[in-house]
Amino acid sequence: MNELELQTIAEITIRTLWVCGCALLLALAIGIPIGIVLGSKRFLGRSIAVSTVNAGMGAPPVVVGLGCYILFARSGLFGGVGLIYSLTGMIIAQTLIAVPLVIGITLAAVGSLDDEWNLQVRTLGIGRVWRLWLLVREIRMGLLAAVIAALGGILSEVGASQMVGGNLDGKTRVLTTAIMMKTSQGQWEQAAGLAIVLMGLTLLVAGVLTVIQQSGRTR
Amino acid sequence: MTPAANQSLIPASRARAHIFYRRLSLAIALFALCSHAISMPAAAADRTLILATTTSVRDSGLLEALLPTFEEQSGIEVRVIAVGTGAALRMGREGDVDVLLTHAPSAEAKLVDEGIVIRRTPFMKNYFVIAGPSDDPAGISKADSPISAIRLIAENESRWVSRDDDSGTHKREKSLFATAGVDGHPQWQGFERTGSGMGLSLQVAGELRAYILSDIGTFLAFHERIDLKALSHPAESLKNIYSILQLDPTRFARPIASSAADELEGYLLEPSTQKRIGQFGQQRFGRPLFTRLHSKKRDP
Amino acid sequence: MKTQLEDGIALRASHLECHRGSGESRFKLQIDAIDLRSGEVLVILGPNGAGKSTLLRALAGLEGKSANKSIQKGEGPVTLVFQRPAALSGSAARNVRAALLGKGIPEPARRERLARALARFDISHLENQNAKTLSGGELRRLALARAFVLEPSVLLLDEPFDDLDGEGQRRLSLDLQRAIRETDVAVAMVTHDLRRALLLADRIAVLIDGRLAQFGRRDAVLEKPHSPQIAQTVGMTNLATGTVRRVVDGVRWIEVAEGFEIPTTAPVSIGEPTWIGIRPENLKLDIGRGEGQPIGKAVIESLVSDGLATVVSLRTQGLTFTTHLLSGRGLSRRLRPGDRVSLAVQPEHVHALAVGDGPIG
Repeated sequence: MNELELQTIAEITIRTLWVCGCALLLALAIGIPIGIVLGSKRFLGRSIAVSTVNAGMGAPPVVVGLGCYILFARSGLFGGVGLIYSLTGMIIAQTLIAVPLVIGITLAAVGSLDDEWNLQVRTLGIGRVWRLWLLVREIRMGLLAAVIAALGGILSEVGASQMVGGNLDGKTRVLTTAIMMKTSQGQWEQAAGLAIVLMGLTLLVAGVLTVIQQSGRTR
Repeated sequence: MTPAANQSLIPASRARAHIFYRRLSLAIALFALCSHAISMPAAAADRTLILATTTSVRDSGLLEALLPTFEEQSGIEVRVIAVGTGAALRMGREGDVDVLLTHAPSAEAKLVDEGIVIRRTPFMKNYFVIAGPSDDPAGISKADSPISAIRLIAENESRWVSRDDDSGTHKREKSLFATAGVDGHPQWQGFERTGSGMGLSLQVAGELRAYILSDIGTFLAFHERIDLKALSHPAESLKNIYSILQLDPTRFARPIASSAADELEGYLLEPSTQKRIGQFGQQRFGRPLFTRLHSKKRDP
Repeated sequence: MKTQLEDGIALRASHLECHRGSGESRFKLQIDAIDLRSGEVLVILGPNGAGKSTLLRALAGLEGKSANKSIQKGEGPVTLVFQRPAALSGSAARNVRAALLGKGIPEPARRERLARALARFDISHLENQNAKTLSGGELRRLALARAFVLEPSVLLLDEPFDDLDGEGQRRLSLDLQRAIRETDVAVAMVTHDLRRALLLADRIAVLIDGRLAQFGRRDAVLEKPHSPQIAQTVGMTNLATGTVRRVVDGVRWIEVAEGFEIPTTAPVSIGEPTWIGIRPENLKLDIGRGEGQPIGKAVIESLVSDGLATVVSLRTQGLTFTTHLLSGRGLSRRLRPGDRVSLAVQPEHVHALAVGDGPIG
């Protein structure tokens, strides 16, 4: 592979990491608090909220992408904002894909705690913020699982990135859309090269998180 | 990928890596085959023909109009794989398919020269269009030719969406830019490369209010939704010829269904089929999408 | 709510009401008044589903705002050790330290309190062990250390001896007793283990169907339960109903079966339907030592020993009685099921009340 191609692959990889990283952080920032609230509080409409989250966890990225496309397109509700075919639009779409995963897994992690967990900590007279800190510490393995699932989901997702990002060269092209493109162009060697990078990235991410998880478990 | 790039990728000394790479490409090709939904009729016919064509041909709906009659007459089941022109030609080069239906004359010629394609038969044509926003910021509707329209766009550095996917349309775009004397790899701000199919690229152009070169069929299917207007007039430089390519069966380990491919070619050139080609699209778009090519002599 | 409480009272609940569940399973806890005193242990007894744990949670302030309004407490934390204590991830020390989070206590003081709490429950050696790997007994000690590190003024314990073997229960109750004495904490404890409860209790509250059926000094509740149901709850297992037939020298003889009379000093009236209760330890097998008044013969149905005590079930005239013997001693060795023995009781040990009489609540 010549230098130009390597440079292109590097550029696409960095862009992919940027988009997925931003989407992941946003999804965690939004999803974890919602997951904790849904997991530990009882309120009217909670079961509706939980089933919505479960449905969202199974929502195909392509459908999310289509929804974003319809909203972001020139004729859409947010047409004037200029989100279509932009990195910001892609980050929003990927965040929407990842948020239900983060909420769902956080919810399950909170749910796996003893029913009385929150009461037990409350009866120690610990302040709200510290209780939250203890809770996050307690479910950190679940949160790691959420990170893995969310990152795996958006790193490998192609539908929404293609629809919202448009695979524009030098602007919104990411690994998955580039692989699809190279495949449809018959440039299978390049597609394979990009696929190896993507595989490597997912394996690396999963590997690093697994190592953290393992070391956390023995502690 | 050019053969040269291929060489630099696989050093001759590392035959094993080469084999691995070939297998990987094959796996990806298979994935591509699967993902492009090969239609499987319920009743398996005695003979099958794998036809690789471009997405624009599939999207036009022409094959759906023509093939059922052929399948009925011949008893041959045609499996259509619609991919980009580059992938279609590549599949022909690898012998993964039996026959090709493409519209990229210069790339097709190369396969003919290499002897992979033993016969290239044009069977219909139409014209590409240069489409753009209705307010036409570069004023190309007043240009006297497609070439000067491209020059106007380049001078104004107007927004342009290139498919940049090695497709027949993209190859034509490159040759138009080259004839217009514009740098072979334009770099101005607003020159977007989608690397995607015609439909997606038209959507991008519509959203970005950019100019774009499109085949007429896809453009007509999309133009109402994307708010773009055809701003060019039919001209020799926009002529788009569709050919059926017969592969040399002796070059591949896999048996090529040559006789079935011949029958398909004969069917496409029949006067009755040609007549239907000439009328296709009238109902849906109010005008035909293709012009038939009469009595063209077959290339040897 | 913090208000002035009399000296020695650490917490008081008045007109406490809690609701749980809905429809058929709806449950209401209604307590007119209950208080906890510093350095005293209140044991809450009651059948399953009587609302014991709900009462503990309400006292801990975990049953919502309206319940909290009816609770007055003094200075110092109120804390609850649950039946199944939760182990936070991390070491035992980390678990105990968690209770001190964000309370503005300087580190040296925290370290000292941690060491004291661990030592109090004899788990200093587990300081660095992962709390999730502790045994049930160790975890309970950890939970108690976590509660005591708060230096609470009120400590609420839900089944603190659950899942412990006899020796574990004995050691834990000793440590707990010492800790309570040393810290002057007010304790309320829910337990179904009557023997442990009786060892620790200063006062007893009996909860039935969400209401306080009886609440008072330990011996008063044990010996003078207000109803047969309370009697059963506090371990007064020999129950019968009958009528006072005669009074001889101030002792009333109650006929509980044809020709079978039981004497009592309780002030019940002649001819009135009466229920009687005798704690098993007060019902004697008459072997001529003159322990109490002989009351008749009974047949031994079964003898069940736990190694320490032998529970003897007896039957006569359609009535069943139980009594306790020390295991391994003469009588418990000699007796066999089917043997006929004489029963005796001291009249002052026979509790008697008119049926439907007695203060409620």
